[in-house]
Amino acid sequence: MGVYKTKKAWGAASLVLAAALALSACGGGDATTAEDGTETLTISAFISTPNQAPTEDNRIYKKIQDELGVKLNMEFLVGDLQQKLGVMIAGGEYPDLITADTKLVAAGAVIPLEDLIEEHAPNLKKHYEKYWNRMKDSSDGHIYWLPNYGAYSGEFSSNAYNGPAFWIQKAVLADAGYPTPKTLDDFTKLIRDYAAKNPTIDGQPTIGFSTLASDWRTFPLLNPPEHLTGHPNDGGVVVDDGVATVFADKDMSKQYYKELNTLFNEGLFDKEAFVQNYDQYLAKLSSGRVLGMFDQKWNFQPAEDTLISQGKIDRTYVGFPLVFDTATKDHYLDRPVINLNNGFGISKNAKDPVKIIKFLDSLLDEKYQKLLSWGEEGTDYMVDEKGRFYRTPEQRKEQEDPSWKLANRADGFYGAAPKTQGTFTDGNATGPGDQPEEFYASLKDEDKKLLDAYGFKTWSDFFSPAPENEVYYPAWQIDLVEGSDASVANKQMTDTSLKFLPQAVMAADGKFDSVWNDYVQAFGKINVKAYEDRINEQIQWRIENWAAE
Amino acid sequence: MNTKRMRLEPVIFHTLNGLLMIAIAVITLYPFLNTFAVSLNAGNDTIRGGIYLWPRIWTDQNYKAVFANGHILNAFWISVARTVIATVLSLFLTSMLAYTLSRKDYVLRKPITILVVLTMYFSAGLIPTYFLMKDLHLLNNFLVYIIPGLVSAFNMIVIRTYIQTLPEGLIESAKIDGAGDFRTFISIILPLCQPVLATVALFVAVGQWNSWFDTFLYASSKQELSTLQFELMKLLSSSMNLNSSVAGSSGADPSAAAQNMVTPVSIRAAITIVASLPILMVYPFLQKYFVHGLQLGSVKE
Amino acid sequence: MAKAISRKSASADLPKSSLMKKLRSQKQLLFMSLPIVIYILIFSYYPIWGWTMAFQDYSPAKALSEQNWVGFKHFAFLFTDEAFLRVLRNTIAMSLINMILGFVTAILFALLLNEIKGRFFKRTIQTVSYLPHFLSWIIVTGIVASSLSVDGGIINILLLKLGIISEPIMWLSIPEYFWGIVGASHVWKELGWNAIIYLAAITSIDPSQYEAAEIDGANRYQKMLYITLPGIKSIVVILLIMNMGWVLEAGFEVQYLLGNGVVVDWSQTIDIFVLKYGLQIGNYSLATAAGIFKTIVSITLIFAANSIAKRLGEDRLI
Repeated sequence: MGVYKTKKAWGAASLVLAAALALSACGGGDATTAEDGTETLTISAFISTPNQAPTEDNRIYKKIQDELGVKLNMEFLVGDLQQKLGVMIAGGEYPDLITADTKLVAAGAVIPLEDLIEEHAPNLKKHYEKYWNRMKDSSDGHIYWLPNYGAYSGEFSSNAYNGPAFWIQKAVLADAGYPTPKTLDDFTKLIRDYAAKNPTIDGQPTIGFSTLASDWRTFPLLNPPEHLTGHPNDGGVVVDDGVATVFADKDMSKQYYKELNTLFNEGLFDKEAFVQNYDQYLAKLSSGRVLGMFDQKWNFQPAEDTLISQGKIDRTYVGFPLVFDTATKDHYLDRPVINLNNGFGISKNAKDPVKIIKFLDSLLDEKYQKLLSWGEEGTDYMVDEKGRFYRTPEQRKEQEDPSWKLANRADGFYGAAPKTQGTFTDGNATGPGDQPEEFYASLKDEDKKLLDAYGFKTWSDFFSPAPENEVYYPAWQIDLVEGSDASVANKQMTDTSLKFLPQAVMAADGKFDSVWNDYVQAFGKINVKAYEDRINEQIQWRIENWAAE
Repeated sequence: MNTKRMRLEPVIFHTLNGLLMIAIAVITLYPFLNTFAVSLNAGNDTIRGGIYLWPRIWTDQNYKAVFANGHILNAFWISVARTVIATVLSLFLTSMLAYTLSRKDYVLRKPITILVVLTMYFSAGLIPTYFLMKDLHLLNNFLVYIIPGLVSAFNMIVIRTYIQTLPEGLIESAKIDGAGDFRTFISIILPLCQPVLATVALFVAVGQWNSWFDTFLYASSKQELSTLQFELMKLLSSSMNLNSSVAGSSGADPSAAAQNMVTPVSIRAAITIVASLPILMVYPFLQKYFVHGLQLGSVKE
Repeated sequence: MAKAISRKSASADLPKSSLMKKLRSQKQLLFMSLPIVIYILIFSYYPIWGWTMAFQDYSPAKALSEQNWVGFKHFAFLFTDEAFLRVLRNTIAMSLINMILGFVTAILFALLLNEIKGRFFKRTIQTVSYLPHFLSWIIVTGIVASSLSVDGGIINILLLKLGIISEPIMWLSIPEYFWGIVGASHVWKELGWNAIIYLAAITSIDPSQYEAAEIDGANRYQKMLYITLPGIKSIVVILLIMNMGWVLEAGFEVQYLLGNGVVVDWSQTIDIFVLKYGLQIGNYSLATAAGIFKTIVSITLIFAANSIAKRLGEDRLI
């Protein structure tokens, strides 16, 4: 009986095997067969921002295909980009359009674009004119990438503020009669006073100040000192007169973490701050009992959304550009910078680079830019009698539906492609989020009241207007070169800070200085100079090569 | 007194043991139920924390987001196909090798055993392996799911150890009956090994089902070959990406959108449920092979 | 008993004969195993040429001949980093804890589950216990972290209610607790999964042995100790030897997800180190060097464990 059974099983197995071979045989053939007679150019693209593939009959991609004769065959990143690029380069197999990475230039995987643009792409040429020198590769002077963000035209209005700031609950401001904290001391005083009056919020203990240092989200802990001294966000360094210095172990940092240590010993600093993960941080903020923190808005946006949906508008936050002393001018708000080393390049495997660049060029036409950002008139947005674009509540709701978006938006491609930002020639903002009317429509009554109390119209008004960017700004965009001493030092510095700063902040009264000394000593063992040298060398290069613009 | 203890002991033991098992079941069931509850709770609300066994604000949005993907059905069948085919083939080949290496008199037993065992302790790395797949024309080919993982050293050792516990006399008697090694393997060893084969089948099937990295490396540019896990990985990473990009551009009223929002946490929960339910069915099915004395019954026949 | 017979018969049946003759008589065994050996050589051994990367500053853009050879630079980076010894200690400690806890709990669980009489109940427990295996570490660690929170975490609440502690403990900020938390998380996630193999092994035990023992008046514990445990001993020993080789594989996911700056001296493993200073900054060479180091240690350990087993007269891996 045993024999009979296994025979049957083996029969089934070979059947399955046959099915597998048949399956793989179908898989081997080329599935893309040309439809009817029209010439459709298929462009393959690899995009490094994770996205879901659009549906087969996606409305926007279909329109592009019908009108421009181009079918996009996109692959989006899943998993680790470095691994993906590593095997791509090793195998020498690239799609036509490929997401920017300095590795690919080193591998000779992409072709220079400057001549192609000059000859075949007037729109792109005009779009990037102001940034032409910056787009050149610092090693060989060629342009390989078409930056996807930061090339502005017309007026730029920023309504919402998504960058870094010290954030404080609206309830705290209301309670204190809408003051404007300017220094870190003003800010901590507001928190102290409110926490003293309100030891609990909704029955749970009030947390005066929290921070986050989990996974890659370390900026809430590490970046404040540079902002408090009036520097813009340059990442791990502050740049004075064109010279970059690491600040993590300097006195400006000591001053800040000492203040946190004081808060900790007063019981106002979140004890769990250094242990919590991102989800726990968001949960804590959305409970409405964290009075303040330093963060970038986009990082804690989900918590704000949750507070709003609970109707706890007074527990959402306003950002202030704090400095150590009033003599320092704040530099939190910055002007948009061109997103170098991002966007698409054309690979050496592309059969017809001219057609590809022409395709990208035609997409920069306002007609297609509107299609990609706002959608189709009448379907995705409306135009009022003054020619202003707006969305109906139903249309806004649709835009939030992920499955609807897969069939009706081309976000995956649009994110990586060259795009117009600022305003269109007809005065409408290039994106719904930047249209002032859309912004006001989203404001709650409580928010309008608060803005009125300060005499402001938008959240950006709390910040000093952004000065002209220095030529080399921002330093965090500088490529540290993989595997170099600079990149190793960078990792070591972060590790050291993450290890010692919690100890320093949570040190008992009077112990702070000795922990800080240990920290400075540990920092001294790192090859910080390799890191600074790389940054400074690149800053100098930028000053020499970009200033001429 | 002694007899009293004899009667009392089983009661105490079975009560305590039963309670312990229930306790284990509770704490191992909890994470799964929690994930299930999160998957049915509105994403925006989940951020607040405090979801345990029951959703606070019910929604089917997370599942809708998962099934919005038009490729998911095809990917599901690819996953089923690779799991079934690879499990059957791997089971056959691995146990065949295990049988040969269980034969103490086999001349090449030791060198082959060492050769196989060592594979558990090194990995050549991503790039050389990629080249191998490329040279064998396995890129963007369904067979890349099947061929590279056919024989696992670990599973081979598990089966071999089991075979070695079988009464040797059975094999000897088969030999005396004139059966060759292959026939002995097919007609005696395989039927006797049902419990361990069921175990290894489970290992292989679960590994195959959960695998997405091979799709990522070797077949990601071919949508027809995408697997369920890979589609779900795509969805998960895109929802993480969405979260930071929406915050950057949207001025829309978040409270209106709140009910519709899917967050990475809630998407991950829905994905986990969708991805694991089909494979969870496998174990209860295989449990019927975990029966005492099976081998003796079939030998007597 | 059966084993003793088989050993005798195996040696008795083997007259001294030439290798060729033996090979010829084992033709079927050769046919059954050699194709698989060739397969293994191709898929596992052939790509080892990639180990040359460890001695280069490997760049995927270049051909093998164009690579920049750097000798033992990457090994030197590993061994001279002052963090390395600590990382090695953490790795070994955590994998030993995981291994011992994993073995003991899984075997105990299998033994106790085997005592359950009701078939339905038994199968239900069995199925439920392996559910957490299908959850990703990010979900499991999320639940672990929130259970351990001082802020409404169930563990603290429970301990407070039972009067064991008077103030909530910040579990994840105390370095000395980290290994234990990782070990417990592993047990939680993999208990049922690890037990499967023993449950299968228990089925191979001849039921007549239990019947005989019962007639001899053996009680439940004696049967467990003298029949069930010896019955699964060979698989336990083999798994132990195999696991010895993985002593440097403590993983990185759990430690990465549960760890934080405060406990970093106890949480970093070799894999995290390699991830940070190797893969994340595109340094394949360092990762390969670490892999080679781990392989050498593994192979030394399994051969050592194997010969110890041989000396003790236990089943062997090789």
